[in-house]
Amino acid sequence: MRSMKKIFVLLIAAICLQKSFAQHHSVFILSYPIAFPMGDLGDYIDKQSFRGINLEWGKEIKPNLIVSLETGWNVFYKDVPEQVYTEGTASFSGKQFRYTNSVPIIVGAKWVLKSSNNLVPYAGLGLGTMYSDRSTDFGLYRISTDAWQFCVRPELGITFKSRNGPAAMLGVKYYSSFNSSDLDGQSFLTVNIGVVFPYGL
Amino acid sequence: MAIKLTRLLGILSLVLISGCYPKGAEFIDDLDLVYTNYSSSFDFSSKTTYAIPDSVIKITGDIFSDPDGDHKPSFLGPASAAAILDKINQNMVSNGWTEVNKFSNPDVIVLVSTVTTTNVYWYYDWWYWGWYYPGWYPGWGWYYPGYYPPYVTGYKSGSVFIQMVDAKAVAAGTENVPVIWSCILNGLAEGGTSSITTRVQGMIDKAFAQSPYLKH
Repeated sequence: MRSMKKIFVLLIAAICLQKSFAQHHSVFILSYPIAFPMGDLGDYIDKQSFRGINLEWGKEIKPNLIVSLETGWNVFYKDVPEQVYTEGTASFSGKQFRYTNSVPIIVGAKWVLKSSNNLVPYAGLGLGTMYSDRSTDFGLYRISTDAWQFCVRPELGITFKSRNGPAAMLGVKYYSSFNSSDLDGQSFLTVNIGVVFPYGL
Repeated sequence: MAIKLTRLLGILSLVLISGCYPKGAEFIDDLDLVYTNYSSSFDFSSKTTYAIPDSVIKITGDIFSDPDGDHKPSFLGPASAAAILDKINQNMVSNGWTEVNKFSNPDVIVLVSTVTTTNVYWYYDWWYWGWYYPGWYPGWGWYYPGYYPPYVTGYKSGSVFIQMVDAKAVAAGTENVPVIWSCILNGLAEGGTSSITTRVQGMIDKAFAQSPYLKH
């Protein structure tokens, strides 16, 4: 519950931060990520996540360059059917319910390929932190670990401009965080479908 | 206006996400856990006979107390005890063991005990009240000087312990009794007796299945 509170506070803080970005040539991107766990996270939960949200505030500092602040929330979950886990001479059997909540907070840059038509491709790179909260429910017990890890996030995407108002976007983001003492680096790929709201124009 | 709209969308999305948060365990037996462990230096394959008491004891505390003075602990009801012991005997026999009387020099002795605990929630985060009184800070906690508060809600969990003891080592006059195999069946002790019994019997089968070294 504590981590939920923390996540909520972070998201609210991020929403409030947009005010400081609300100047000229700004965008707000709201997207729905479908996340595919990889690496250590994939070993732990090998199931894609349809639970998530991604929020991004960007400011155009050059005609083809946007700096952005991003946050989001991805919930990974898997119930593992009953099986036997053996460690040395000890064996445990039971069902496991595995959860990972990931909240990236990323500062990034996007290079936008301006084109005459309505399709605008972009590529981006971001650096920041990712908060991961991993919990395993096993029997009546819960084993929890959480960590703030350094995170790198490259992305590729395309926006579909409309004449006025919001544009649609489709993109791929790859989040890779680095090992910390409590938890190995967590990585996942998201496919994002969203809407780009220009404001302050 | 645009900012208001985006903020609204953000908050709306949060509400939607919290609505589809994964649920986890749904049924009582989702929380059942079977633990087994054994002494790797003990040669199970050369042992074939066992003795087992016809009662299951109830553990009521760390130290044996005997309020009625009959030198015996509290026992589990005979119907539940029989259901547990029959299942253990069935598994022992199918693993190639032979039950013998405790006076017939058994190789091992199997002891079965149970414990139930009522788990109560009475603690909640101090900071729930942080909004109320000026100068109250997060990170503080509660204490109840000299007494325990009433509980709000709780659940009952239970365990069945099965210990297999090296009977020959006991005969050699050692002070401590070597437990060469131990098994803990743990779960919620909620629901009717018959459903608990069925779950315990299923867990006993699993305990033997995950302990292949007991098989002859």
